[in-house]
Amino acid sequence: MNSSVLRVLVADDMAISRLPLCAMVSALGHEVISVEGGAAAVEQVVHHAPDLLLLDLWMPDMDGFEVIGQVRSAVTHRWLPVIVISSLEGDEHFIEALRRGADDYLSRPINPALLEAKLRHYARVLGLQSERQRLDRMKDEFLATVSHELRTPLTSILGALGLLASGAAGALPKAALPLAEVAKRNGERLSHLIDDILDLTKLEGNKMVLQLRRCSLEALLGEAVAANQAYAERAGVRLQTDLATSTPEARLDPERFLQIMANLLSNAIKHSAAGDVVMVKLLVKGAQLQVLVQDRGPGIDPQFRQKMFEKFSQADSSDRRAQGGTGLGLYITRILVERMGGRVWVDSVHGQGATFGVEFSTADSDAMTPDSPQPRACLLYIDSDVDARARVAQWLQPLCSVVGVGDLQQARSELTRTGGLIVLADPQAQGAAEPFCAALKNVAQGRAVLLYSDAIDDAFASRMGLTWLRKSATSWSVLLAAVRNALETTSMENQR
Amino acid sequence: MSDLRRVLCVEDDPDIRMIIEFSLATVGGLEVCLCAGGQLALKQAPVFLPDLVLLDVMMPGLNGPETLAALRLLPCMQGVPIVFMTAKAMPDEVEELLQYGATGVIVKPFDPMTLPQNIRIYWEHGRDICADL
Repeated sequence: MNSSVLRVLVADDMAISRLPLCAMVSALGHEVISVEGGAAAVEQVVHHAPDLLLLDLWMPDMDGFEVIGQVRSAVTHRWLPVIVISSLEGDEHFIEALRRGADDYLSRPINPALLEAKLRHYARVLGLQSERQRLDRMKDEFLATVSHELRTPLTSILGALGLLASGAAGALPKAALPLAEVAKRNGERLSHLIDDILDLTKLEGNKMVLQLRRCSLEALLGEAVAANQAYAERAGVRLQTDLATSTPEARLDPERFLQIMANLLSNAIKHSAAGDVVMVKLLVKGAQLQVLVQDRGPGIDPQFRQKMFEKFSQADSSDRRAQGGTGLGLYITRILVERMGGRVWVDSVHGQGATFGVEFSTADSDAMTPDSPQPRACLLYIDSDVDARARVAQWLQPLCSVVGVGDLQQARSELTRTGGLIVLADPQAQGAAEPFCAALKNVAQGRAVLLYSDAIDDAFASRMGLTWLRKSATSWSVLLAAVRNALETTSMENQR
Repeated sequence: MSDLRRVLCVEDDPDIRMIIEFSLATVGGLEVCLCAGGQLALKQAPVFLPDLVLLDVMMPGLNGPETLAALRLLPCMQGVPIVFMTAKAMPDEVEELLQYGATGVIVKPFDPMTLPQNIRIYWEHGRDICADL
């Protein structure tokens, strides 16, 4: 979007007011699309993605309040400013429109100077917003690259130090050994920091894929304790367990659960004195499974307890220096636990240790996640346009889950991983369309493939033997119907 | 395949190559053939006849998955476990790499003192899979 020119949709049934308004908007240098009714307005919002909607509140087919509601549920991945217009006296209907989700209002007769000021204002805000999204994306990519690039030299540094410190390259002089160990320990700390930053980027960018499956917490806790044993021994701390047996399974991502436990255990060990015990308990409380990690360390200041699961929080900067840590571990822990449908908390009496708890529902009680007999159908959507991916995921949400990927290479691995049933793809920005479609058919391995694009035509689609939907002309309901149709055909074929 | 003796290692970073050589040869007592890239590995494999291949993922020229696919076409590589090394440590990325047909994934930074043991576990695992076939 050019930051100063807006694409404005004008919805008004009366030509006598619509035409002058369109002329005004156009004279201000903006692009205008106009419609004569509410239903048409919703349709246009979906198809032509205007930047702003000027909406007459009173139209015979659908009133403005209803239009606002439908527009808000159709456009969820971006902000579409809606300015309502009315010639009625009084403010009540404007107040109601704002309550229903409008952003602003104009009274008739419209003051051209006020219209100009408002459009300029929204152009600026939208410009800032898209700039911020671009910067967010750049930041994510930058952090991921940096984290990855940092690990390569770190591999050599830590490798060399590990070999030196273990005497593999010959015994070090007595005074040199502690130095090699200091360097190695701090290299490891740096490595954990990089892991945490990468996790954080993924979690906050909503890019972390959890592999939820039924797991036994008993077995996972055994694994978690074993994995942290070496660290505990180095600190002179004993890890003990008291685990309920034959517990029901929970539905979670086992790798991420181990990461949660590693955070809680290392935290407990870090705050324990040599000779202390850290206790890990597994309890069944009705339909809930509780894991407790108890230490006998100094405990947690009540004031700090409230914010300890927030980002970059540590009790104080001296604590940071004494214990080492990034201030990210508990925050990442909380986000991971919550993503898996659980909760995390802490109980502590200052001076008498702390107990961290995490709780998950048992897999059988979890009505939110239907189990394996009826898995949700999955569609793989290949499109380089992130916004289109978000939109289609939203649209198809009632029907199937949508896994969006940017190119064929990701498609190949995601298709195997997710067991996607059908493939939707836009050949635009994927190199030449013909080889792309040939490779696509190869990747799809017999699955139904729908092309969803503005960059191709009927002749091309029929030459490739693929179904084609024109992206800009396919409404939500048409796409939904096409996908439903393809899914039904697929499931009938599978039954045969 | 009686024992794990020869490891072919493909890694573009010369410093990491040195660490791996030290780890596998000096600590692990294994015979190591180092290659700076996938093309070289394809030439070396039929001569060196490795028991296991340790393969970096992100390399200029042929990348890890491409090298794996090309190695798999060589008659001498049938049933030889291939283990990826990667600095991308996220579980979903590890999962993705396994789908290329690798026996395992070693995450960077790795511990050079335990690397020989770890690849031996993968080698035994790979041998078990072949025995099952």
